[in-house]
Amino acid sequence: MSLLKIQDVVTAYGKIEALKGVSLEVAPGSITCLLGPNGAGKTTLMMTVAGILKPRKGGISFAGEEIAGRAPHDIVARGVALVPENRLVFPAMTVLENLLAGAYQRGDKKAVAEDIDRMYARFPRLRERSAQHAGTLSGGEQQMLAVARALMSRPRLLLMDEPSLGLAPLVVEEIFRIIAELHRDGVSIFFVEQNAHMALKVAQHFFLIEQGRISFSGTPGALAEDEVIRRAYLGSAQQ
Amino acid sequence: MLADLIQNTLDGLSIGAAYALLALGFTLIFGVLRRANLSYGAAIMFGCYCATWTHLNFGAGLLLLAAITVAGTVLAGAYVERLCFAPHRGGSMIAAMVASFALWMQFEELVTLVMPTHLYAFPALYEGAPLAFGPYTLRVDALVMFGAAIAACALLWGTLYRTRFGLAVRAVTEQPAAASLAGINLPWVYVRVFALASAIGGVAGYLVVASHGQITPMLGMWSTLKGLLAMMLGGLGSLPGAVVGGLALGLLEAHSQWFLGPQLRDLIAYLLLFVLLAARVPWMHTRSAS
Repeated sequence: MSLLKIQDVVTAYGKIEALKGVSLEVAPGSITCLLGPNGAGKTTLMMTVAGILKPRKGGISFAGEEIAGRAPHDIVARGVALVPENRLVFPAMTVLENLLAGAYQRGDKKAVAEDIDRMYARFPRLRERSAQHAGTLSGGEQQMLAVARALMSRPRLLLMDEPSLGLAPLVVEEIFRIIAELHRDGVSIFFVEQNAHMALKVAQHFFLIEQGRISFSGTPGALAEDEVIRRAYLGSAQQ
Repeated sequence: MLADLIQNTLDGLSIGAAYALLALGFTLIFGVLRRANLSYGAAIMFGCYCATWTHLNFGAGLLLLAAITVAGTVLAGAYVERLCFAPHRGGSMIAAMVASFALWMQFEELVTLVMPTHLYAFPALYEGAPLAFGPYTLRVDALVMFGAAIAACALLWGTLYRTRFGLAVRAVTEQPAAASLAGINLPWVYVRVFALASAIGGVAGYLVVASHGQITPMLGMWSTLKGLLAMMLGGLGSLPGAVVGGLALGLLEAHSQWFLGPQLRDLIAYLLLFVLLAARVPWMHTRSAS
């Protein structure tokens, strides 16, 4: 059974349909990557799954429960957390407060404190900057914070919208190392990426979205063999 | 001369503390909902009239009157929230603002219908002689107003920075989308912020009316104008800014009244706002980026 099942989802901004009937499945315990050009509907899909946007048609089920059209906080409570595009940390709140906000629905203070310690162990830079305003962090540190904040809700499925956007190559490598680590710890991951080279190293399944429709679904091997995709997303076709 | 300056400063700070409260209520709603609530002052006036009506018909102690004012303001605020703000979430800013203007008119009509006299007396906070410190005098009610306003600010500060609800309010203020992704229920926060802002407005309204010893339907317009002015002087959406803006407005009024007379007092405040807006001072544009 799939963890996340999206069926014929249509999401529109006014009259313009950004998703024109998207269907895909994410297997439990997997790392799944959504590739696609700008404006194809990647962010719209992530926002629709997280409940920020309401689908006009179609169904989204998570762990067997229908979540399409539910409020974002309700979807978080069910175990789906999104690291949004451009991170969207709370800039005038401290790093610690950002993490506490991520655990907003949890009443177990002790377990929350333990999880914060765990985040600090995983992201030592955040421990050093614990009392600093999140707005003063570097782009890479903000991305770490956004990931840690999302993990504070103890999600079963972590959605990430372009986690490498605007980051230096070394930081991007660190982000992908963390994705692999989280996966090893049992979190299923579904992420959007433009950097197909890096995504190929970690993802087990790929979807390609173009003009609001899924145009490819397959393994990294199948992706690399597809001449058209290779030319468009992996740059040089000669590699 | 110096004695006058000091006296004006004391007077300005005490009325400024009430302005600060009005501005805090405005700022909370503006910061969290990104909507201007034009019926904010009218709801305060409604709360104050509830207390005046109770006082006229049954008589009541000061604390009870204060409680009735706050309760009436929160009730009116809830009505405004349901009618003007809840239906337009994520929708038009203008629709909510115009609708709130319509409710302002409703409150004024209702109040003048039930209590048609233009002016009613309101029990004063304190009727004894002012305290004298050498050449200076300090009205006890002004002192109470200042103290109560400071206490309300401190309470608000504690709520925002030391409680789970406060964390949610700040998160929603900074990044509404990220706040909902963190699991915060936005409508739940909106309704509570509205109630909190109304309660703060009620406290401010009670203090002002009790220190003036009288009430007219103009209180609604007056509260909205003073609150908006203080909020804008301090920078839209900034809570510390609202306090500074309120105190600055109080000081400015007290001093300009003494130097230039009461006719020019309000003009000076608007002139300052105009100059600051025209000069695009940095603190007034902090919110426009987000």
